[in-house]
Amino acid sequence: MKKLTFQEVIEKLNKFWSDRECLIVEPIDTEVGAGTFHPATFFQSLGKKRWRAAYVQPSRRPCDGRYADNPLRLQHYYQYQVIIKPTVPDIRKIYLDSLKALGIDLKAHEARFVEDDWESPTLGASGLGWEVWLDSLEITQFTYFQQVAGIELDLVPCEITYGLERICMFIQEKFNLFDLEWHNGVTYGDIHKQHEIEYSKYNFEEASIEMYSKMFEYFEKEAKRLVDKGLVYPAYSFVLKASHAFNVLDARGAISQNERPRYIARVRGLAKRCAEVYLKTQTTLHFNNVKM
Amino acid sequence: MIMAKNISDFLLEINVEELPAGYVRPALDKLKNAFVERLSRERIGHGDISVFGTAGALICYIKDMSLKQEELSQEISGPPKKIAFDENDNPTPQGIGFAKNQGVDIKDLKIKQMPKGEYVFIVKKIKSKPAKEILRSLIPEIVKSIGFPKTMKWDDSGMRFARPIESIAVLLDKENIKIKLGSAPAKFIKSTSAGAYLKKLEKSYILDQDKRKSEIYNMIKSIQKKLGMDEYVDKNLLEETNFLVKSPVLMIGDFDKKYLAIPKDVLTASMSKHQRIFTLSKNNKLVNKFIAVIDGKGRNIAKMKKQYANILEARLKDSLFFYNEDIKNPLSDQTPKLKDLIFQKDLGNMFEKIQRLEELSSFISERINIDAAKREDIRKAAYLCKSDLVTQMVGEFPSLQGVMGMEYALKSGEKKSVAIAIKEHYLPKGMDDDLPETIEGAILAISDRIDNIAGLLGSGIEPKGSFDPFGIRRNSHGLIQIIKHKGFRINLTGLIDKAIELYNSRVGFKTLPYKSAPEELRKKVINYIKERLEFLAPDTMPIELKQAVLKSDCNDIVGVFKRVEALSEISAEKYFLKAAKVCERTSNILKGAKGENIGAVNESLLKEDLEKEVWKAYSANSETIKNLIKEERYKEATKAYGETFFEALHRFFDNVLVNAEDSALRGNRLAMMQAINKLYTNDVADLAMLPQIVV
Repeated sequence: MKKLTFQEVIEKLNKFWSDRECLIVEPIDTEVGAGTFHPATFFQSLGKKRWRAAYVQPSRRPCDGRYADNPLRLQHYYQYQVIIKPTVPDIRKIYLDSLKALGIDLKAHEARFVEDDWESPTLGASGLGWEVWLDSLEITQFTYFQQVAGIELDLVPCEITYGLERICMFIQEKFNLFDLEWHNGVTYGDIHKQHEIEYSKYNFEEASIEMYSKMFEYFEKEAKRLVDKGLVYPAYSFVLKASHAFNVLDARGAISQNERPRYIARVRGLAKRCAEVYLKTQTTLHFNNVKM
Repeated sequence: MIMAKNISDFLLEINVEELPAGYVRPALDKLKNAFVERLSRERIGHGDISVFGTAGALICYIKDMSLKQEELSQEISGPPKKIAFDENDNPTPQGIGFAKNQGVDIKDLKIKQMPKGEYVFIVKKIKSKPAKEILRSLIPEIVKSIGFPKTMKWDDSGMRFARPIESIAVLLDKENIKIKLGSAPAKFIKSTSAGAYLKKLEKSYILDQDKRKSEIYNMIKSIQKKLGMDEYVDKNLLEETNFLVKSPVLMIGDFDKKYLAIPKDVLTASMSKHQRIFTLSKNNKLVNKFIAVIDGKGRNIAKMKKQYANILEARLKDSLFFYNEDIKNPLSDQTPKLKDLIFQKDLGNMFEKIQRLEELSSFISERINIDAAKREDIRKAAYLCKSDLVTQMVGEFPSLQGVMGMEYALKSGEKKSVAIAIKEHYLPKGMDDDLPETIEGAILAISDRIDNIAGLLGSGIEPKGSFDPFGIRRNSHGLIQIIKHKGFRINLTGLIDKAIELYNSRVGFKTLPYKSAPEELRKKVINYIKERLEFLAPDTMPIELKQAVLKSDCNDIVGVFKRVEALSEISAEKYFLKAAKVCERTSNILKGAKGENIGAVNESLLKEDLEKEVWKAYSANSETIKNLIKEERYKEATKAYGETFFEALHRFFDNVLVNAEDSALRGNRLAMMQAINKLYTNDVADLAMLPQIVV
């Protein structure tokens, strides 16, 4: 079997999950730290409606930048997110099948489920599950959500988050992600290396602390104002912006160890407000035509 | 004659999505205990119970289980004979009623002699149910009783477990018993007995966790031997690995030698904590090889090895980069950067903290007579002990604080004792962690802890219930353990006052509640430490005795432990009880005179012979007793105290009224009681706190 390119891995996963009744939705257009922040996961995990979706989510973690110098770390990368609500009994088998669909030989290689109870303090989300290791390379986070926005969930969703670069490294047998073939001989590095170098410099050295500190305050204020008016989606987008501003400030070293929990609690408080208002108002308005 | 079969082997298999490795062994223990307990409750006989486990299955195998409950007869007594039967031994309506209610015939009523006379009774046989029927309700109960540190739900059945249960199989001999447990489906095992099924499992992987563990251990050892490496197997990693694999296969890999420049602790953390692979060393130095334990045969070992090594190197690349950056300058260059690092809200920065630690550690050094050269080392260690917090490595791997400080101190040419003190000052990290071994490390660790406790409590932070996010209790616990371990005779109040004074004179508690009331804060600190003291003394010692000791002077922690130990050894002796009685009687009298101003004894006011006798005993023996206490000969002190005063006081109380009408006489007698009471209770223990003292 020909080794899949980065682009083909996404196509294969889209096909695989589309065949299993998932809506293939598109990424959210705001900076986020992970696919969980997408409303298709954050809001759709709440309430009693069945929901299945999959999507690519470009994700940003300013602290993880390494000036394109580290073979495994990036401040901007791609997650492939699957959310199945409620979860189904053979979900892990289906997941392993998805790896096989990518041409991974699970007899020659070992997929290991290593305990990892995932938590997103900023979203007040937590669950139990595993990191999936492929020959000790972490390729997926597999979680049965128990709480989102501090709210105990009615239906337990299963969240599967693939690290696309990691999986491609395995498939293509490349040990530096910049060497991955995106498609047609073009590498991941061709597309992203300069981006990584510049953003690492920006996040660690250039981002204006003063501006981001003020922005955090503005975003927080705006989110509060909007959520009180029942404008859940706009309010939530400002929560995401505040969260990203916090991450940049963190990368800039502008947040002391003792201030961190306070910032996180502020974002979590906002996310919780959005979730509460969403549950009260939006569940009845949203995706009413979706039959899943 | 064909005997009906009445025993069979039993097997329960709970198939579950991978459990956390650390959960399996405790779950197996609980599973076994639950069966032992409940089978006996249900009167189901059985032979050996064995439990086997992997991350994916918990199995209980029971030999020779009875197929039926044991029969049970129960006596139910009814009315007295003379009410149930008339004088002609014919049943009365009451007798008939009893038989009817119990569903037996009149002729089944029996008579029994009871303390109050003859009574009617019946013997009721409780029908024995088939084991199968009992197991159906018993197994769900047992599975639910296992309990885990964290559980989850996965569907709407309400069932909680550590991870979703996939299926449940129950075999009693060859019969599958269907169990209802949440929505978990039953697994049907076809036409095989429990024993044969177990053998089948044994053939497909190593079922027995202990056998599997020793196999992994032996394989690692033999590789180490073959390669001429040190024979060392990380115990924790071995236990974890044992529950990550079912059919262990070993793989030796290697990585680029350049990464050996990274300190051992960092390498070890990357390998064993993050990647779950075993390090290899020669003459105690790590080599660029590792052992990975993988699951199952037929794997592509060549590719896997490369993969493991590449992942390790990617991780080490980060570490090496940080390490090289950090060692460009001596560690002391980092110290001024601590001014930008907040210690705690309202408690200033880390640089101010190390300044306090310098003073606190020289304060302690002075008190316990440390020589000048060592004192200088301790001061240096105090100056450097937090500097690694601003290095890149600790920024990335916070758990390496202290360890990196030591490494960087050595690289910067600091003395070994200084470097070790930097590492040790974080010990103990938890309740059962190692304690600092060097005097330098211990003194610095005590300083850091008392500074934390006084500061946190002083800024208004206190533990609430079991919630102690800043570790005030953990700090108190550690403080006591270190002082006890090193046998430092240091005055606790003095130490606390010094810590408070340093806050007040430096950063100051500015707006904080204790700025103007340091005594209040001192009381608070002492209370937290005392609470831990009670907890730390061995469980085998009676709580009242610990409390009695803690009621006396606790400034010398080492002394407190000595007293608790000495007194608990003699607590059954007659003289001990006598001493306790003396404490109790004097204490009761003094309680009645609470609030009165009691002065010293005036000998000219002693009137009665019996009180003169008591005072004579005091005058003759108090010095000896005080000296015995001072010399920490607590057993002898207690003996002398009990024997000096018990009889004399007894006579005195029987014949002399302490609360005399003449207030001068009364005051003098109270003064005498107080002198006797304090002679012992001030510095040894307030034995009046013991319950029911009977001599």
